[in-house]
Amino acid sequence: MLLSIDTTAGTSVAVFDGQKELSFIDNADPFGHAENIGDCLTEALASAGKRIAEVTEVLVGRGPASYTGLRVGIAAAKTIAASLGVPLRGVMVLDALAYQQPGKVLVTSDAKRRELFAATYENGLRLDGPFLTTSEQLGQFQDFRHLAGASDARLNAKFFASTSQDLSDSSPIYLRSPDVTPSKGKKVSG
Amino acid sequence: MEIKKLTIELLHEVMQLENQVFESEAWSERNMTAELSTQHSHYFGLFDQELIGYAGLRLSPQDYAADIQTIAIGKEHRGKGLGRTLMNRLIEVARANGSEKIFLEVKQSNSAAIELYKSLGFEQIDIRKNYYRPSGENALVMLKEITQPLILGIESSCDETGVGIVRGNRLLANALHSSMDEHAKYGGVVPEVAARAHLEAIEPTLNQALAQAGVELDEIDAIAVANGPGLAGALMVGIGAAKGLAVGSDKPIYAVNHLVAHVGADVLERGAVELPTIALLVSGGHTSLLLVRDLLDDVELLGETIDDAAGEAFDKVARVLGLPYPGGPEIDKAAESGDPAAIRFPRGLMLPKDMERNKYNFSFSGLKTAVARWVEKCEEANESYSTADVAASFREAVIDVLLTKALWACEEFGVPRLLLGGGVVANARLRQEAVRRCSEAGIELRIPRFSLCTDNGAMIAALGAQLVMSGRAPSSLGFGAESTLPVTVVQTP
Repeated sequence: MLLSIDTTAGTSVAVFDGQKELSFIDNADPFGHAENIGDCLTEALASAGKRIAEVTEVLVGRGPASYTGLRVGIAAAKTIAASLGVPLRGVMVLDALAYQQPGKVLVTSDAKRRELFAATYENGLRLDGPFLTTSEQLGQFQDFRHLAGASDARLNAKFFASTSQDLSDSSPIYLRSPDVTPSKGKKVSG
Repeated sequence: MEIKKLTIELLHEVMQLENQVFESEAWSERNMTAELSTQHSHYFGLFDQELIGYAGLRLSPQDYAADIQTIAIGKEHRGKGLGRTLMNRLIEVARANGSEKIFLEVKQSNSAAIELYKSLGFEQIDIRKNYYRPSGENALVMLKEITQPLILGIESSCDETGVGIVRGNRLLANALHSSMDEHAKYGGVVPEVAARAHLEAIEPTLNQALAQAGVELDEIDAIAVANGPGLAGALMVGIGAAKGLAVGSDKPIYAVNHLVAHVGADVLERGAVELPTIALLVSGGHTSLLLVRDLLDDVELLGETIDDAAGEAFDKVARVLGLPYPGGPEIDKAAESGDPAAIRFPRGLMLPKDMERNKYNFSFSGLKTAVARWVEKCEEANESYSTADVAASFREAVIDVLLTKALWACEEFGVPRLLLGGGVVANARLRQEAVRRCSEAGIELRIPRFSLCTDNGAMIAALGAQLVMSGRAPSSLGFGAESTLPVTVVQTP
């Protein structure tokens, strides 16, 4: 039984038995990940009629996504997998969005600051990405059908059930370095 | 009928009952006075209009033990289960204070009492011959053991990822991962850098804590996590991890106040935090002066910094002097050979005009600027200056303000105790001055070991344990990070 957790957009949790969806809870609040993660987990389990101990695998959305929310989901997924002693898998969420999309597709999701997270696919297989881009730069992907969206725990779980990709890496995908400029030196007064 | 804490004001009523119940074996008024007023003794009276029974407990926090000192029920009120009521209250107090063992003595002939104690979980462990005077009767020594809860605590409010494990008031593990080195090139803590580091460190730190304590995750009784005050993005990593643990192991969760946890850390040193106390918490993120009358119910913020935290001022002045980050230890080192009286740097918010609104607040921004101006002036004039003197004089100004205000608080609120916490207590001069000034003022000074003073998971676990032992309900799963959580909110519900 798979417990799928995603905080790359809102907070969502799904419980799957193989391909079969047992429950899906989605809280769209784009800021309340730390608040919502616990209740989403317990509601998804309750709605599936399952106990946490029955979970045999944990899946988490690795991003790319805004940092703060992303980390909440990954942190929770790590400790759930650790408490249950079950494996943790990670999905690069643009892959889940591209799942079962025929032909050449450019998948993007909102990266805030007028930027986009993007990756290109052909018949669901990633050609390039993920990378950061802007809507002005999308012209170079004329050959690609553009698909914009956000993934969630359900899409990630469906992708997981069908892919042969190695998903053992569950580390976050930020695509941006931390927002800082090193200190300029010692001028403090004035 | 109600149970109330007994105080010395009720000595007369207590003695009347004492003499009626124990007759020739009754305690003297002097002994009773001492009993009622001794620290760590808890006496409760049972009132039905008047005092009809009482019982007392003495805690030995360092031994994690408690002794039932006495229990008395007025002759005409016996056989109604009142003794059990009082005993349950004493057991509750022992449990809440972290006792692992409760001892009592009882007359061998008092079979009713022995039965009561047995039914409450006491077992005979010894017999003392010829114990009671003048009768010469034997005493049975009985013991009740309490298994205190095993609590795992997570701290991630700034740049330290901490996971601690305690059993009751006992420290079992205190694992820590610091991202301080990653911040060095920026000259201060960068929130995003800290938060990323927390996510990387949380699982290894968790595993390290479990290994240190020699326990498995499924043995943990409850999870505690700091949900503020602190850097929101950093706190959220700890919260996510804590909620995952709570759901994953199906255990209750307690969201606790990081600053109050600093005060509570002292329970891990000697089994109790002596209260009331003034607490001075000084770190890179906080400069707070607290009055703590009760760790769980009565914490008051007397003052805090209105601009930079003291630790931040050390970092910034270190930068001015061309010293590396973090500035505290570097300034300490540089100041060693300096003259603390060489330059009279300003003391913030110490003037008479500050007393009304800022008596217990701190300001280090002006001091930092004064040091920078002083150094720049020397450099512009091509005058050489002694880094050691500047460092020593700056450090002296910070320490002077911190300790002066802390001791003012002790005096104004009649609190004979000062507890220091936070990373800045690593400063040798601060500790030295604190010892000197407290001893002059007759104030008891508490400084927990350094690993319990800096941000750490053990103090979060310890505060969580206090809440569990006191029977508090867990937090709901819906709490979030509160970057400005007030100290009055010890637990977020």
